[in-house]
Formats: sequence, C-alpha cells, structure tokens
Amino acid sequence: MAELIRLESLRVVYSQKVVLDGLDLTVAPGEFVTVCGQTGCGKSTMLRLILGSEQPAAGKVLIDGVQLPRPDRNRGYVPQKYSLFPDKTVLENITFGPETEEFGLLGRLTPKFFKRREEFRAEARRLLQQMGLQQADAEKYPDQLSGGMQQRVAIAQALIMRPKILLMDEAFSALDPGTRSEMQKLVRNLWRETGTTVLFVTHNIAEAIYLGTRVVVLGKESPETPARVTLDLAVPEDCRTETGYPRREDLERMMKQVEDAALGGKLELEMAEFAG
Amino acid sequence: MLFRVDAKPGRALAWTLSWFLFIAGISGYFWTSHTRHLENPEDKVVPNLAQMAQGWTDAVLKPAEDDEVQADAATQSVMLKIRNSMLWKDTVASAKRFLIAMLLLIPAVLLGLHMGMFPVIGEFFLRFILFFDKIIALSVLPILFIAFGIDELSKIMLIVIGVTPTIILDTFNLSKSVPQEQIVKGFTLGAKDFTIAYRIVLKQIMPRVLNSVRLNLKAVMLFLFAGEMIASQDGLAFRIALLRRHMGMNTIIPYVLWVALLLFLVDFTMRVANKKLHPWFREA
Repeated sequence: MAELIRLESLRVVYSQKVVLDGLDLTVAPGEFVTVCGQTGCGKSTMLRLILGSEQPAAGKVLIDGVQLPRPDRNRGYVPQKYSLFPDKTVLENITFGPETEEFGLLGRLTPKFFKRREEFRAEARRLLQQMGLQQADAEKYPDQLSGGMQQRVAIAQALIMRPKILLMDEAFSALDPGTRSEMQKLVRNLWRETGTTVLFVTHNIAEAIYLGTRVVVLGKESPETPARVTLDLAVPEDCRTETGYPRREDLERMMKQVEDAALGGKLELEMAEFAG
Repeated sequence: MLFRVDAKPGRALAWTLSWFLFIAGISGYFWTSHTRHLENPEDKVVPNLAQMAQGWTDAVLKPAEDDEVQADAATQSVMLKIRNSMLWKDTVASAKRFLIAMLLLIPAVLLGLHMGMFPVIGEFFLRFILFFDKIIALSVLPILFIAFGIDELSKIMLIVIGVTPTIILDTFNLSKSVPQEQIVKGFTLGAKDFTIAYRIVLKQIMPRVLNSVRLNLKAVMLFLFAGEMIASQDGLAFRIALLRRHMGMNTIIPYVLWVALLLFLVDFTMRVANKKLHPWFREA
C-alpha cells in the first residue's frame, strides 16, 4: 500500500513534559483521517508535526518518503481561527497562493503577472461558487462574513493550491451546529470530488465518524503520561446510510468504542447529538 | 440625576459642556487683557485682539529679515509678500526638518518588521535598542552638538534618537503579535520569507504602525522644537524663542496656535489616509 504520510516513533516534549511518545501512524493517499481525543492529548500537536510548523524531539515525519523542514505548498492548512488574511478581500485571499507561488515580490510588477492574475481570479470565482458563496461576497473583507463563510473561503484558499494533504485543525469547532453540519457535508463532498487526502482534528466524536474513512483516537492513562494511539478505527463506506452516517447500531458501537478509547472520555470529549 | 455613570446628557447640554472650557478660557484671557490695558495701554504681556492682529499681519506679510526689506515692498503682490514673510520662512524651515524626520521613520519601521520576523535580526538588535530607548534624547543634545555641529544634522539626529527607538520597538511588537496561523498559512500557500514579511505581516500591521506614528507626532515636534530653540537661525520654535526676548507675546500666541493647527492637520490627514488605505481595519 502506498503511503503519503508516515510518522515514526515521534516524541514531543513541551517544557520537560512529554506530550507524545513513540507515536506511529501511516496514512495512504486519498484517506480521510479524523483524529479525535480529549483536550490536551496532543492531537493538534500531531497535526502541526505533519504540517511541519513544529519539529519532533525525536522520530521522523515523512511526507512521500521525505522529511520536510517547514510547511510548504503541498500541505494545505485550515485552522480554527485566523484562517484568512484580514487585509485582503475574499478573492485576494483565494488568489494569494497561486500568485505568490508563481511571482515573487518583484515579479508582481511584470505585465505577465496581470495577465495570469485574471486567470487566477476566474478560478477563484469558480471555487467560490463550488463552496456555495455568492459572487458578491468576492469583494468583501473576511470580517464582513460569518464564521461559516470564512471557513468556506479558507477551504477554497487551501484547495486552489491542490495540496497533497489538507490539514484541518478544529476547523468547525467555533461554528454553530447548523452551519457546522452544512460544512461537514461540504467537506465530505469536496473530498469525494477531489480525492485529496484529509487529516481532520476534532474533539467531536460524531463529526469524526461522519467525516472520516478512518478515525484515529489519541488517549492517555493519566495527565502525566504521554498520549498514544488508543484506537485506529476504519469506517467503511458501505455501512453508511443516505444520511452519510453509519447505520444506527454501527454508529452507536463506534461511538462507544471511540469514547472508551479516549480513556478520559468523561473529561472533555464532546458527545455530540446527531441527526438520526 | 446628572452625576450618574449612566447619565445621557441631551444634545444641547453635551454641546454646552464640551465648549464651556474654550469659552471660559478665551473670555478669561480677554478679560485679563482688558483690565491690564486699562492700566497700561501699551501692555505687551497679555496682548489684546488688535495687538495680536497686528502681530499676525506682520508675521504673514512683512519680510522675514529687516535688512532684506525691498524698496518696492508696497507694490508686491500679497502672495509674494507671504512667500517672503517670517511665518512662511519659519514654517518651511521647520517643515523641512519635520519631513526629513518622518522619512527616517520608514527605515525604523522596516527595521522593527525585520526584527520581528527574523529571529536572528531580532536577537542582534533588540537588546541594544531596548538600551538605546532608555537614553533621554535631550540629555545627549550637548554630545550631538559637539559631534555633529550645531547645524541641521544635530537637530535631525535629536529627533532620530528620541523617536525611532519607540517606533522600532512598536513595530517589532506589532509584527510579533500577528498570529502564528497566518505565517504558517503563508508557507502553505507557497510564500517565501520576504513575501510573508511584507505581504502578510507588514500589510496587516500597517494601520497600527501609522497610528503609532500619529501618537509619536508630538514627540517628533517636541524634539524638533528643542533643537530649534537651542541652536537655529530659522524655524517656528526659533522664532518663538527669539520673540520671548522682546516680549513679543502678540506674535508668540498666534505662532503657538499656528503650530497646533499644523500638527492637527498632519494628524487629521494621516487618520483619513489610514482609513482610506485600510478599509478592512477595525480599531480593536
């Protein structure tokens, strides 16, 4: 099986406290991996290691077999907050990636840049539409949009780069339930259409099972011990009903499994209600 | 009822309250002036309106230096008179120094930005500038006069020493305060270090940097005036210091108000420009 991401016995230490130790994980291209766990179990840390914005104290992060020193254009990122540039319009936010990739600071002054920019804008507008935004929103600034709209733009901004991996860190946690489930549907459809590998960190169990083809649970026995993978659960596509969720009995079993695996499930894991 | 934290003064009351001190101050002044002029019609300490009008027209319409009086002064156009006037020449001289000082703030902003973005540059400069910032600029004025002479350079250096550390440190802190997510996002969108520094961070902090410069305008003027009062042959503060010797209150007061008006206009222009240039910016 081809592997896109390989984590090898990762160890992360924050001010003498071991957060992760001996973490191994491989992700194949096209998978939708959701990472679940209680607050402080290191799931966001794991995401940042794959992203490259943080380096492990020991162990290796291999993307397509290579260790990468810092984040790059192959790994798209959608954080919970500050996901858009506040000083740029929606359209400028989306075209920022392709523009900077092709043209440096001085390259922006060449005539070719203005020609290419029109093409980028056309593609950005197409993506906007795909994300369910109005064309009128294109000229707005991020703080004129609702939280859900902002995250739609942030996803478009990441997807225009066609990254190998899309990393989403609690991307929907600040949204209200209605918007949140719309966004979940959107992301699932986008994943189906584009085939991008997605790694999605959440503390909402129902969200993890709904979105993922695979749910990875990080847990720890006590606050002092490092976290480890306590469950690696495949969610087969064929057990899903037309709502997108697995059949009721499967779902309940899976949620129970995830909850148990998170060990401190009673701590701060969101047992979200779901439609069904 | 009136003195409550949740009081809602009506329009008329609010208007009266906010203008009261102006009216009281102006009336107090002219009342003092009036009583003093009753005793001594030539009183120069508290000039009345007529004296000030005279001082103002002299400043605006009379040539700056007595020895340069031209024979055809009577036939000169008003514009030409203004161009040759004391006030015009002083304003231009001060404005020149002010503009040079403002231009020198641009490298200060860029240095602060690079210190904030590149840890190596930050480590190199930060401690030194923190130290430099604690030096009272006026206390090194004698050193500046000795080192740079008493001409323009020492006056500009005084402003630079007094204001740039604040601007550098402010920009440094502002660029540090941009959320890490934005920088990581930049990398994932294929941006290189300088693109991140200039197109993500600088662009985002620019309105705050401009506000910080606005707050420091008074400091710039303060150092400019200190330099001009101590060693200069022209400039607004030079004139104020000079006229003090002649008790020229009828010119000093209009000058003080003129300087306040100029500073207000600069600040106002910067505020409007800031808003126009950064429509996305919301004051936090």
